Order: sequence, then structure tokens, then C-alpha cells
Amino acid sequence: MSVSSALLEVKDLKVSFNLQKGKIEAVKGVSFSVNPGEVVAIVGESGSGKSVIAQSILRILPGNANIDGGHILFNDPATSENSIDLAGLDAKDQYLYEVRGGRISMVFQEPMTALSPLHTIGNQVEEALVLHHTKTSKEARADTEETLRLVGFPNPELGYEMYPFELSGGLRQRAVIAMALICNPAMVIADEPTTALDVTVQAQILGLMKELQKKFNTAILMITHDLGVVANMADKVVVVYHGSVMEAGDVEEIFRRPQHPYLKALMAAIPHFDMKEGERLVSLRDSDADKSTKTIHKLAAKFKADDLGDVQGPHLKVENLRKEFSTNKGSWFGSGESNTLIAVDNVSFEINKGECLGLVGESGSGKTTVSKLIMKALQTTSGSVSLNTANGMCDVLSLSGQELMAFRRKVQMIFQDPFSSLNPRMTIQNILSEPFVVHGLNHKNGCQQDILDLIKLVGLEPHVLNRYPHSFSGGQRQRIGIARALALHPELMICDEPVSALDVSVQAQILNLLNDLRKELGLTSLFISHNLAVVNYVADRIAVMCQGKLVEIASREQLFANPHHPYTKSLLSAVPYPDLDRLLDFENIKYTSSMEADDWGAAFKSSSEAGLESIKVDDGHYVLANSNCKISEIRA
Amino acid sequence: MISYIFKRILYMIPTLVLTSILVFTLIELPPGDYFESYVNELQAAGETVDPKLIEYLRAEYGFDKPIWERYFQWATGMLVGDFGYSFEYELPVREVIGDRLLFTIIVTFVTVIFTWLIAFPIGIYSATHQYSWGDYGLTFLGLLGLAIPNFLLALIMMFLANEWFGTTIGGLIDPEFVGQPFSWAKFVSVLEHLWIPVIVIGTSGTAAMIRRVRANLLDELRKPYVTTARAKGMPEFRGLMKYPFRMSLNFFIADIGGILPTVISGAEIVAIVLSLETTGPILIQALQSQDMYLAGSFLMLLGFLTVIGVLISDIALAFLDPRIRLQGGVSR
Repeated sequence: MSVSSALLEVKDLKVSFNLQKGKIEAVKGVSFSVNPGEVVAIVGESGSGKSVIAQSILRILPGNANIDGGHILFNDPATSENSIDLAGLDAKDQYLYEVRGGRISMVFQEPMTALSPLHTIGNQVEEALVLHHTKTSKEARADTEETLRLVGFPNPELGYEMYPFELSGGLRQRAVIAMALICNPAMVIADEPTTALDVTVQAQILGLMKELQKKFNTAILMITHDLGVVANMADKVVVVYHGSVMEAGDVEEIFRRPQHPYLKALMAAIPHFDMKEGERLVSLRDSDADKSTKTIHKLAAKFKADDLGDVQGPHLKVENLRKEFSTNKGSWFGSGESNTLIAVDNVSFEINKGECLGLVGESGSGKTTVSKLIMKALQTTSGSVSLNTANGMCDVLSLSGQELMAFRRKVQMIFQDPFSSLNPRMTIQNILSEPFVVHGLNHKNGCQQDILDLIKLVGLEPHVLNRYPHSFSGGQRQRIGIARALALHPELMICDEPVSALDVSVQAQILNLLNDLRKELGLTSLFISHNLAVVNYVADRIAVMCQGKLVEIASREQLFANPHHPYTKSLLSAVPYPDLDRLLDFENIKYTSSMEADDWGAAFKSSSEAGLESIKVDDGHYVLANSNCKISEIRA
Repeated sequence: MISYIFKRILYMIPTLVLTSILVFTLIELPPGDYFESYVNELQAAGETVDPKLIEYLRAEYGFDKPIWERYFQWATGMLVGDFGYSFEYELPVREVIGDRLLFTIIVTFVTVIFTWLIAFPIGIYSATHQYSWGDYGLTFLGLLGLAIPNFLLALIMMFLANEWFGTTIGGLIDPEFVGQPFSWAKFVSVLEHLWIPVIVIGTSGTAAMIRRVRANLLDELRKPYVTTARAKGMPEFRGLMKYPFRMSLNFFIADIGGILPTVISGAEIVAIVLSLETTGPILIQALQSQDMYLAGSFLMLLGFLTVIGVLISDIALAFLDPRIRLQGGVSR
């Protein structure tokens, strides 16, 4: 074996899967190396084979996968021996069990499912230690608690006894990191370690990984699809596409001088904050972009929403909306304790005709609940929702019967998950004709031409109508979902995270489609997303939600240039940009954890004398603050 | 945890009251009573019956009283262990059932253990070697056991046991031990006879059990925490037992509740074919002849065992699964 300085050297690795259809080559000759203490990122879209590479290194591939060729040379600095080819070892080789968790460990994507729900955090973290080192149970427990402290558990003794479901997503991921670090390995493989986390938590976890990596000089092999994460973490980058390396090199080279067309296209497809007015995303593999814009223009007149005429006022007005969920643990004997959770707390906003309001917030902030309340899919606790109609403002929440049906035609929804939002047993024809059937508009086959036009409108060919959803890709399904929403000429479109389940390249196509449709059809829309860059690309105004409250609302330019609320600021500062000149300030994120309401300034907290109120700081810019505070305090 | 168990036991009371009302209504539903079918039987045999005697017996056993009064008498009697009187056996119900209960429990218990001992290893093997020859072969054997009618298997086994080992046909003991006090020789005799019903009843349950162990374990084997355990360097078998197998046990524990009632009602047909001294055949006989207190008490006992079984399952689940224990509002 050759003697090299690299900690891990992957040479011409080939992996294939045996499926019923035949053999699928997932990795086709990939080579790269990781030096001690270095962070190497493997970037690619879903299906590019990046996770398969990671699993091959630890030899934990699924049963139907085979390593067909190549070498994975691991040169353990802790031993003076020559490097060992992990790919060449027998699957039951004792050395593999020593390497796994001991010398190379792994951090997984989804911290909830990566931990067993039946065992305590302490048990699972400690296990990694006990498997590789002989320790008394007392020593092991002390070491485990120390590691938990290191990864930021506020109370390690208590954390040791907790079960995964009792912890927040961020703490769970910290536990997984503790499990990976407890044996002080030479390398950690992190497979999408922050994809399932909220943006502020992501920033914390990335900061933690960076800090620990420096402290212990551990190498990290980071698998991700997010170029923003890569720019902030990696020393070296390997770009993979369809199982082959497209481009590899230092992070500087990759971001400043991308060479390969695939990489260039990938960078152009990501929405970023410096986009000029009217600038479009360039999506990959979408050669007909111009044609689709023309089709939309041609068909637009037909699907335009009914004109409201010269009515005054906003299109949709939401006032003091409040939703409480109560969990009643009642029993046959006595009423039991009841807990009330306030999901939406005094939320007010307006959307003007033809405008797109972006609603941003982390998971659990109540943004989806707001959309359901507007749709009247949930019963509102208090507050009002009114929609502008030809007869003036109409109270949505009091509608019933025929009026409610008429309202349903005006407001339509596009869902997050294109896989579960289409019935797998209905053809596309059935899916698209269903809105007409439900509303009794399918008389004399009158809707067939509409369906044909709809499918063209979203950029698909009419011959797809006889197929079932399973034969479409995620992006195509989302187009079908959009067509279904447009069938009844809605006035208001609610998009609930429409692109968060899609790959970067497809995301760009769908965002462009939504933007074109919105402009041509004159749709008013509410765009819900956790991704600030996406909201920045589509929205005219942006509202920020935190723990059920709407903390700031402003035009896009105002919000990004001049955020006032501490939560908005922390949200903006936590977004990883795919730009080497705007790296995350990990130090600050660590020390000013302004995601918590406790750390906000006095001006943003309610006091005993005065509650919170939406205060106007600028034209169209409102911030939720103490009703007694001065505007200068908010601006400070 | 204590308060949880206490609450669960409290819930049992209204459940059992409702069950007893239901059972009593059910056994009252068919037209006529035991005496009517008794009279019919005697007349069919050509004998004459003194209607005065029947009237007297009716009054004696309280059949002239209103239905709610009889229910009340029966229900309160059960609380102090008096289950009523069996007309057919002319004995208190307790004595009719009591003798046979021990044998029934032995047969059922051994059968259940037999099923588990076979089903678990095969189920685990089938799941970890999915779609292998071993998986198909063992599953085929299990399904064969399920497909052969129990009574047929019972007859064949009885014949073979008699041919090869000289075991007496039918029953759980050799005739000479009937009524004898318990001794070593009697115990050996029980063992000699026991294996036939155990295998006959067991084969039918094993196949279903294998499939359930296999399906539940397969679901768990695909979960990411299994990969986590492998990435930690956990040896395969230890990892299998600690994580996915333990998770897949939930269904099995929930099943324990269903096993208890089969202790007295299970495998009636096999018991009749093999003339086992168990409770199953009596239950059927009692239902046929409208021996209402015997049948009612049987059904009540079934209900009671079901409720107890579910209670045991729930407590065991709460002990084994922290999600149930801690999210169900029970304090640590």
C-alpha cells in the first residue's frame, strides 16, 4: 500500500444496487481524499450518490448494494500501521467494527429517527464509548456526561436520563454529535446534519461542529445539498452528479472560479439576496424556459381571476387572528388537566390585490395554522378574516353553505409535499377534473378543454393526462398540484412551502413558474416558507412569525436592509449564504442566542404596564413591540 | 405509575358491569329456558313429565322472578364466588369448572410457550434473511401447519402415538390415574399425553406468529436508528436484539391480552376430538343445552380474563416503552 499523508483516500470507488429492474450504478468511479483535520464537503442533488459514498466508507450499505471496485484507504494516525483498504475487507472483519464509531463515526440527517425512542440519550451515547473502550460504568457515565456538556447540553446529568422525544430537534442533533465524538474519532462523516433543522438551530449546530472540529482536530466529511452550508464549513469541495465527480477543489476555487457547467448551473439556480429586480433564476435542464413563459402568456387570459373592478382596500384582511389548541387529558373520573396551546396569537395583516406576501417563520411558529384559518379549514378561536368581493369586504369565518362553496373557488392552496398531496389511485385527468366535479362545472364535457389548457399552462404535455402520479418526478407532480389549484380561476393562492421538498434545480423551475403565473393571472398570494432566500425571490412584502406572533412586517427591501426585531435579525444572520465573503458569524450566533424571547431587549417584551402592540416604524414597516416604548428604542 | 395502574383498575369496574349486563341479556335471549329444553328432551325420549314438578323447580331456582331481579342475584353472587348452579351437572358451577381449569391452564400455557419458542427464532431468521431460501422454506412449513385442519392432525397424531408409543387414546392422563391424587407417575402420564394437543394447537398459531414477528421486525429493520447502531460499531446480533427486536415487541406485548381468554375457551374442537378434560367442550355443551348459569359464568369469566389481559398488556407496554409511559401524562 502506498504511504500518503491523507487520512482517507477514496480511489475509483464503484457501488451498484441490485434491484428487480436490474443493476443500478449509484457511484461510478469516485476519487477524493481527506487530510487529517480537514473539512471536505460532498455536494450533490438527491440521487447523486453522495450518501452512498458515505455509507461505503463505513461499510454500512443496505443489503442490496455492492462495492464493485475501487479502494477506500484509511490511514489511522493513532496506529503506525500502513493504511487499510476498508473496501477490501470482509463484511464481518473485526477491524470494521473497531473503525465504526471508534475511529470514523457518523452524524445523521434526521435526529428523531436516528435515535432509538426506547433508550435514554445517555444509554445510546455511552454505548458508543463502551463498545470501543473498557470502562467501569461510573467512568463511562462521567465521560458521557462530559461529552454531553461539550456539545451544549445545559444540564448533562438530566440529559443523560432523558428520552429523545423529550428533547427539541436541536438538542437531539447535539446528542447525535456527542455520540459521534465520544470516542474521539479521526474522522466524522456528517450526512446532511442540519437539513432537518430550523435555520437558527442549523447555524448553532454548524457553529458547534466547527468549534469541536478545531478543538479536537477531527476531519469532517460533510454530505450536503446546500451550497450555503458548504461555503461556511468546508476546506475542500467535491461536487457529484449521477455518481461521478464533476468538479473538486479548494472551497475558494469552487466558489470563485467554478469551471464545470453543472456547478455553474447549480450556483445560478439558487435564489440569493442580491438579486436585482426582475432577475430570474436559471434552472438546470430546463431548455424550454422561454417557451413556457410564452405558453403562460398565451393562455393567461382564460384563467385570469374574475376582475374585482375598482373596489377599494386590501384583497385579504386578517385581523387579530387567534387559534388555541387544547389538549384535554380527560377521563371518566373528573375532567383531568387541560393544556391550552396558543398556536396563533393576535395576528393581523393585509394583502393587496395582486401582491405576494411572504410568511416566514421556523417550524412551530404557526404559519401553516394561519393558512388553514384563512382557508376556513380550522375553526378560529377569535379574530376575523375578510376577503374583498364585488359586494365589499366579506367575512370569511361566518360563511356557510352555498356562500362557502363560492369562497372555496376563490381561494386555493398549493401544498408542500408533492407526493402525498396527489391521490395515487387517480389519473392526472381525474385529479384535474375533480375541482370541476366538486363545484358542478363539468356539464357537457365543458371542462375537457380547460383541463388541456391547464396542463399546458404548467408546462406539461397533454398526453400525460392518462398517467398516474407515481410516474412523475417531484417537480412534475408539483406542477400538477399547481394546475389543480388554478382550475377554478382562484383569486387568492396560498402556497405552503411549495418548493421545500424539491431539489435546488427543480426548485428554480417551480419558483419561476409560480412567479410567471402570478404576474400573468394577476393572482394575490400568500407564500409560506422557512427559506428566507426563496421568500425574497417571490414576495413583495414579508411577514415574520415567531411563536404564534407576527413580530415584523415590511416590504422586502425594508426587511432585508433594515430589520428591527431581534428575532428577524437573528433569523437573517443565521442564513448560510453560498458566498465566501458573507460567512456566518459563528461567534455571535453562539453568544447572542436571540432566538429566545428572554434575550430580546426590553422594548420587545411585554411588561406589567403595557402589552405588545404592532408599532409603525416606517412607511409600511411594522414591528411588534411594547406599546409604551419609543420608536427610537426599536430602531436602536 | 402507581396512579396510572390504579386508574386503569378503576376503569375495569364499569367495563365489567356492562359486560355482565350484556352476557345476561345474551343468555336470556333465546326463547325458553333450561327446563323447557329438558322437558322437550324427555318427551322426545317418550317419557311423561309432571308439569307440577317443573313448576316447582322453576320457582325453586327463581325463574318466576322478573329478569332484573335474577340478574341482580347472579351478579352479586359472583362477587362472593357463587356462580350459580349448573342444571345439567346438578352441581354448583364452580365445581364443574374448577376441576377442569387446571388442565386447561397447563395445556394452554405449554402451547403458548411452544408457539413462542418456534415462532420467534424463525420470525427473526425470516426477517433478517428476507427472500432467502430459508425464509421461504420456513414460512412454507409454518403455513402448512396453519393449513392442515386441527381435528385431522389431532386424529392422525393420536393414531400414530398409539401405534408407536402405546399411548392411550384420548384424554390427558391414562384412565387408571383418573380421580387419583397427584403423583410422579400421574405427572409423567400427563406429559406423555400433553405433547399431542400442544403440537396440534401450536402448529396453527405458529404460522401466524411467524408472519407477525417477521413483518414487525422488517418494518423496524429499515429504520435509521439501526444504521446508527451499525455506525457505532455495534455487533450485528447484539444490535438486532437491543434496537429493532425490542421495538418490534410492542405488538407482541399488546397480544398478551388476547391470550388470557383463550386459556379457557381455546381449541374446543381439538379438545372434543382428543377428549381432553378441559373447559372448552363444557362451554359448548352448556350453550347448546341452555344451561344458563354455567354458560353465563363462562362468558363472564372470558370477559374478566380479557379485561385483565388488556390491563397486563397496558402495564407491560407502559413499563417497556417510555413513549407510552411519559407521553400518556404519567409522571416519571
